[in-house]
Amino acid sequence: MREFIQFTLGGISFGMVYAAIALSLVLIWRGTRILNYSQGAMAMFTTYIAFTVIGHTGNYWAGFAAALAVGLLLGAVIERTVIRPVENKPPLNAVVVTIGLLVFLEGLAGIIYGGQYRSFPAAFSITGLHAGSLALGISLNDVFVAAAVLAAALGLAVLFRYTSAGLRLRAAAFNTYAARLLGVRVGRMFTLGWALAGLIGALAGVLVSPDTFLYPASMDSIFVLGFTAAVIGGLDSPVGAVVGGLILGVALNYVGGYLGSNLVPIFGLAALIVILMLRPSGLFATSTGRQV
Amino acid sequence: MADQPALAVEDVVAGYGGVLALQGVSLSVPAGTITAVLGANGAGKTTLLTTISGFVRPRQGRITLDGTDLTRRRPEEIVRAGLAHVPEGQGVITELTVEENLRLGALWRHGPAGRTEALADAYRRFPLLAAARGRSAGTLSGGERQILVIARALMARPRVLLLDEPSLGLAPKIVAQVMGLIRRLRDETGLTVLLVEQNARSALGIADRGVVLNLGRVVAAEDAAALAADVGLRQHYLGF
Repeated sequence: MREFIQFTLGGISFGMVYAAIALSLVLIWRGTRILNYSQGAMAMFTTYIAFTVIGHTGNYWAGFAAALAVGLLLGAVIERTVIRPVENKPPLNAVVVTIGLLVFLEGLAGIIYGGQYRSFPAAFSITGLHAGSLALGISLNDVFVAAAVLAAALGLAVLFRYTSAGLRLRAAAFNTYAARLLGVRVGRMFTLGWALAGLIGALAGVLVSPDTFLYPASMDSIFVLGFTAAVIGGLDSPVGAVVGGLILGVALNYVGGYLGSNLVPIFGLAALIVILMLRPSGLFATSTGRQV
Repeated sequence: MADQPALAVEDVVAGYGGVLALQGVSLSVPAGTITAVLGANGAGKTTLLTTISGFVRPRQGRITLDGTDLTRRRPEEIVRAGLAHVPEGQGVITELTVEENLRLGALWRHGPAGRTEALADAYRRFPLLAAARGRSAGTLSGGERQILVIARALMARPRVLLLDEPSLGLAPKIVAQVMGLIRRLRDETGLTVLLVEQNARSALGIADRGVVLNLGRVVAAEDAAALAADVGLRQHYLGF
């Protein structure tokens, strides 16, 4: 029972990181109907920026802020330059472009920073928390990770639901033609969607890098699991992204804890295959088709 | 300036790929009038509207709104010049609520106060939308959706309204209501309307002028009453 509590709580932290990547993927999928294979690589790159800033200033939060700011900018620049030409082309074009971007970013990071594993600082203490004499299996930093991703998700929800920019973003995503007829500059909305995804991805990067260490391919497996979480929740559902991430994080922690950590990657991929076979539109899909 | 048409289309040639849907179309819509564009399927009526609103680039010709040249601008910018286009199939954004659809129409034109006022005006004029304001737009009936998209287009206080087949799929009684609404808008607000319709009878019932297209060319442009009375023309091009 004690182990169960520890595994459950411990899985939440990683689960929230998967949720963040899933949220970025959902943002871009909903907004531009593109699957961004470079989401993890973008997050890795912005984490390296944070690493550099922290190295120069000695201030963690300066690096944190820099990563988020660069994430926002990187998302916008990528959409405007590389993605815009393939937005209305066959889906395969966008797949090739985003995979190419992944390779490019990882190569660039390798050239600039080298391939060695860097240690990346955590925002808060990583010593285990206790409830009385019971070790909870999580640290203060884990709580921060969960809270940060939750805050980001809630912030996005508020943006989409209650602001004019959010209304424009949703309109541009749901019905581009009608949105243009109402004067919405849909190009700018696509750029904004990618910028927000870049921001959330950057958050995921700095939150998880203390655990994974930082190297050019460090976000690859995180990306795969974030993608799995997005598929579990349903690619169109932001709520699904968060729930999918939590489910996956906790489930994988059970596997690692009870069955052995070498089974975790296999289980992750198995989860992806199973969900695609049983309910490909995801747990939170409202419909398998679109109403017109 | 009073003589300047609200909307003028001059010798426009436009099409898709190898097919020229418009082969030199000219028409002029005086301010505060309803002009009906009639013709059989494939005559080029919808292409005319999508070319005016900027989704199709004309290969030749000019389109002006109150004298301002709009010819090669993008739809988002043409809309901001004072043109509104309610497309074929209505264009209701079904994932949004009725109120969100309406608010969307007001965003570029108004600041926060203006949006609230425009919304209140829309609810005053269209009580059925007020009653449905929180519902998903996808739950509305065909007639209700047509009212919604017209109200949504009006939120930005356009000078000229393009309407593509508003009667499509609607029961005759509802069609009469929609046509009555369009006529009231012209009478009460001086709105200029370009109305594309297959239902020529209904359209000519409210229009001031009528233009008949056939295979991408204008074959008749007269007062609506004269057009309705021209039996030969009606039978040949409009089927009644």
